[in-house]
Amino acid sequence: MSIQSFLLMRHELMLIIIALIVLIAEIFTPDHKKGIITPLAIILFSISLIVGFLPAIEGNLFGGMYNTSSLIVLMKNILNIGVFIILLQSNKWINLLDNRIKISEFYILLFITLTGMFYMISSGDFLMFYIGLETATIPIAALVAFDRYNNKSAEGGIKLILSSALSSGILLFGISLIFGTTGSIYFKDVVGMVSANDSMMILGFIFFISGISFKISLVPFHLWAADVYEGAPVSITSYLSVISKGAAVFIFMIVLYSVFNSISDIWKNLIYVIAIATITIGNLFALRQDNFKRYLAFSSIAQAGFILLGLISGTELGMASVVYYVLVYVFSNLAAFGVVSIISFQTGKENISDYNGLYKTNPKLSLALTLSLFSLAGIPPVAGFFGKFFLFTAAAEKGYYILVLIALLNTIISLYYYLMPIKAMFINKSDNPIQTFKTDITSKIALAICLVGMVLVGFSSTFFETILKYCFGI
Amino acid sequence: MFLYDFSELTSSIHNSISSVMSPLATTVVEMVIAGIVFLLFYALVGLILVYAERKICAFFQCRLGPMRVGKWGLMQTIADFIKLLMKELIMIKNADKLLFNLAPFIVIIASFLAIGAIPFAKGLHALDFDIGVLYVMAVSSIGVLGILLAGWSSNNKYSLIGAMRSGAQVVSYELSVGLSLMTIVVLAGTMQFSEIVEAQNTGWFIFKGHIPALIAFVIFIISSTAETNRGPFDLAEAESELTAGFHTEYSGIKFALFFLGEYMNMFIVASIAATVFLGGWMPLHIVGLDSFNMIMDYIPPFIWFISKTAIIIFIMMWIKWTFPRLRIDQLLTLEWKYLLPINLVNITLMALCVLNQWHF
Amino acid sequence: MNIIIFYILAAVILIFSVLSVTSRRILRAATYLLFVLIATAGFYFLMEVNFLASVQLMLYAGGITVLIVFSILLTSNIDHKFEKSEIKKNIFSVLLVALGAGVSLSVLLNKTFNVKSNTEPVHVKKFGYALLNYGENGFVLPFEVISLLLLAAMIAAIMIAKKR
Repeated sequence: MSIQSFLLMRHELMLIIIALIVLIAEIFTPDHKKGIITPLAIILFSISLIVGFLPAIEGNLFGGMYNTSSLIVLMKNILNIGVFIILLQSNKWINLLDNRIKISEFYILLFITLTGMFYMISSGDFLMFYIGLETATIPIAALVAFDRYNNKSAEGGIKLILSSALSSGILLFGISLIFGTTGSIYFKDVVGMVSANDSMMILGFIFFISGISFKISLVPFHLWAADVYEGAPVSITSYLSVISKGAAVFIFMIVLYSVFNSISDIWKNLIYVIAIATITIGNLFALRQDNFKRYLAFSSIAQAGFILLGLISGTELGMASVVYYVLVYVFSNLAAFGVVSIISFQTGKENISDYNGLYKTNPKLSLALTLSLFSLAGIPPVAGFFGKFFLFTAAAEKGYYILVLIALLNTIISLYYYLMPIKAMFINKSDNPIQTFKTDITSKIALAICLVGMVLVGFSSTFFETILKYCFGI
Repeated sequence: MFLYDFSELTSSIHNSISSVMSPLATTVVEMVIAGIVFLLFYALVGLILVYAERKICAFFQCRLGPMRVGKWGLMQTIADFIKLLMKELIMIKNADKLLFNLAPFIVIIASFLAIGAIPFAKGLHALDFDIGVLYVMAVSSIGVLGILLAGWSSNNKYSLIGAMRSGAQVVSYELSVGLSLMTIVVLAGTMQFSEIVEAQNTGWFIFKGHIPALIAFVIFIISSTAETNRGPFDLAEAESELTAGFHTEYSGIKFALFFLGEYMNMFIVASIAATVFLGGWMPLHIVGLDSFNMIMDYIPPFIWFISKTAIIIFIMMWIKWTFPRLRIDQLLTLEWKYLLPINLVNITLMALCVLNQWHF
Repeated sequence: MNIIIFYILAAVILIFSVLSVTSRRILRAATYLLFVLIATAGFYFLMEVNFLASVQLMLYAGGITVLIVFSILLTSNIDHKFEKSEIKKNIFSVLLVALGAGVSLSVLLNKTFNVKSNTEPVHVKKFGYALLNYGENGFVLPFEVISLLLLAAMIAAIMIAKKR
């Protein structure tokens, strides 16, 4: 092992160093100067974002416990972009007087959870996978309960920690069964020993899938999502629903494709059922929501179901479409959350009915929200359409016509509820509309990045081609 | 090499039993014998320590202590013991009876598990794990649960406060105990008690490891005094504020169990200190003085062990009857802000010493 | 002899785990959990992995249970009892548990394991070397990442406890 080999781990090491710098800065800054921590964290993180884009070296460390490849680096960069947007969006909120005393804790926990996700994506064995997963989950529960004096926030935190403890238990039981059959925790050793005839292996695998499904909040493991999303501060909700979910999808895909590829028949059947259930239930529940955060929670459950369509194909195209879709999803969902967080921050209103007549008072914000909802729904001019298109193509290519048909029907249902806020903003009249206000500069930048990203990723084919180049099939 | 090797004795007992019985029965019989031996030992040590404490306390306070029962009051503790046995066992209304009755046993069982690992002489110990030090720390950490349960189930605010103080205190000071023992483990290169003692053949660790070992020894004495809830760290049972702390509601034999548990814990930490720092049953050897070493070898190892333990117990009693009681925040500050950092630095220092061969 | 001890330990674990989830007093449940954890350590002693057994005793019995009991002491009252759960719920959960246990058991009992005979007890030094080994079968990376997790957990706890 040499110093150079640590370059392989640059994403994680940068983040750890940033977290420690913020920790030290917290100790040495007096209380009234805590405001400098925000620019410090954002600048340091942008450095790490840029470093992440440097040309990647492939390889593995620690005897195969840590893997990295161009694809994994790409995934980490996607997550990095998302976190960067969230940092910009949360800037104003975190500097509120109430939140100021917990400002550095917010950043430290955010960075450490991101490190955990990176380790999880890079893991080459079940142990690192599990530790990464826990590092990515436990501190988030505290972040969900950030607004401790708000009962809903505290409730969300405890719900997240309890449900994630349960899912971790299930996951660990699955891993231990897999370890029991193979005698190794390394992915590379397990690959050769996976067989469909070994029922203990299959049982372990099913527990394993259930554990991950909790983190991606797939039906029937989605019950925690709505309450947690509603209770958490908006920045944390967006972090949970975009970054954390994206990371879990990535590792789920990597494990399915590279470890359990020989029992693909089994997991394809499983995912078939889960995908239909997830899309349908996510959509049906989203129809009934009035709170915007709950609404986005169920919409993101449904989106996760769509992502499974790409997973199920098991081809290069499928993998590329999943990564691409997550990229699109980062931009569009964060744009939606960005608008929600700005409005919630300025007025404290979080219900869809409060948005009536928003176009009259805040036209730019309503246009941004419209675009992002279009993208989430998959309406042509923006990237979301292409994302869904590739997912459906990947599934149809392998002959899952009925699944694609159901997904298409669901897309039509989803159009209804994605257009509801748009109708509220543009058509509905309100006696008491949200007042005109000025948005702070960092949120504006964040929104602009999202919108540009949405359009650019949709119209420029280089993104998809680059992703496709790194992807692999079963 | 050593004049007294008790492993011959124990193996001859084992052989004679197994010659008449099946292996299963042998194991059971041996377990029973070991249990009885330790029970007797407990009773004996308990009696002696209570007597010693009263006498030493009296000595520090310029009194005579118990003098009436027997010569110099020697029979006093036995009389007290009989009195305790005859007392009524009071059941508290609204107490959680199961936990209330269970709590003293947890304390006693934890100390019982720990004492099994202590080497009294060569070949004279019940358990000799390769992780002896870790094992003792592990089982002694269970004891605090008995205190916590006792405090909660008594349904009494003094008990509850005492139990919580004791919980915070024991959990914190366990770190220091463990780390100071680990310092010596670094020096010895093993966690097995028998090997630790053998390694002190050429000099006790407190001399071999000079500065870091001395620091570790002092920290161990301080933190083990705190871990056993003895003064000046006896906040869990501070009489002047909490009546009797977590065992306020206990009477008769159950109280006696807590009392015995406390003294046994003191004996255990003292004997661990004697074993790890002062060579345990190993006689005082000075490299080069062969005839001196020979003479020292003639003193039985058991005597060495007991006298070293006795000295440390005396030091702990001395501390108890000399210093005033701390406040709970001072207590936790002492641990987290002073002892723990010093300990961590010390363990690094010891590692440096070992790597650079600075020890003797 | 080992077989007898094994069954005793297994019985202790089974009985006390059931008691632990059915008990209506929270501190009793925690105490039963303590016995389950100690009996698990007993399994490790039986398999002569003393290090693991001691760690189990130290972390779970002496650490985690103490923390659980401590937090109960801080928050709960002795008179407090959980509500009796509805019979319908009870039946449902018993059925669910029976189903899960049935599936797991049928799978585990049909599996033929490769029994390794005469395994040497693992010396504690091996654990030390494995923990700091950065090659294959070394655990230094998980070891360090766990420390990161613990740091995060500490900061998270402080953040929740911080006053306005």
